[in-house]
Amino acid sequence: MEKPLKEDNRITIPSSLNYLREVDEFVEQKLKEEGVDSGLVTDIAISVTEVVTNAVNHGNRNDLHKKVTVSVKLDKKSVTIQVEDQGGGFDSEHLENPLDEKNLLKEAGRGVFIVKSLMDEVKFETLPNNGTIVTLVKRL
Amino acid sequence: MKLSTREVQDLVVLEPKGKIMGGPDATLLHDQLHEYIKQGKKKVIIDLSKVDWMNSTGLGILISALTTLKNNQGELKLANVTDKIQSLLTITKLVTVFESYDSLDQAVASFK
Repeated sequence: MEKPLKEDNRITIPSSLNYLREVDEFVEQKLKEEGVDSGLVTDIAISVTEVVTNAVNHGNRNDLHKKVTVSVKLDKKSVTIQVEDQGGGFDSEHLENPLDEKNLLKEAGRGVFIVKSLMDEVKFETLPNNGTIVTLVKRL
Repeated sequence: MKLSTREVQDLVVLEPKGKIMGGPDATLLHDQLHEYIKQGKKKVIIDLSKVDWMNSTGLGILISALTTLKNNQGELKLANVTDKIQSLLTITKLVTVFESYDSLDQAVASFK
């Protein structure tokens, strides 16, 4: 298995959920090193795994040649995580509502909803040459 | 995620441990459950006391277990739901779907 590329505050993985745990460990370690509260670390970690799962499955369609990059930035007031894929873009405005009765027993479809519940800001941008960047902000 | 299993009286207790986030161990619980169903053991408790956290994939695994058991005339109950998991069940309205108990003993007693 190809190794993830780890730079100072960034990790890049091939598009496989086999790397999800490494991404989580990378992000959590960065946050803990900076003394971020454990409850916030959990909320951020859950959200990162949600967005990376979507980037792998939906953005890059599990194409191992395509990459997902996760970058972590901290300042005194907030944590900002960006997840970038190389897929075809993402329409975040027209998702099914997981709270609708007809969707309640579906096994998937809650990821974005959970991220929006746990994070203070969530932004989706489609890049000019394809790809999506999701920006997550959690205030400290 | 690691998964321990044991039987208490005529019930099955599944005890996942760690973070449930998807990836290569996502089918562990599902596969184990199917084995028990094949053996006719369909009263199941999932003890969440050792789960650090789960994401929506984890919730999907619980839903899949619930649906699989119901479709096989079985039952699923949750025990020792941590605060973080409880908050996820609440915001996703899945509290209306799962029967949860504060302890394994209470979950076991509920089957009587």
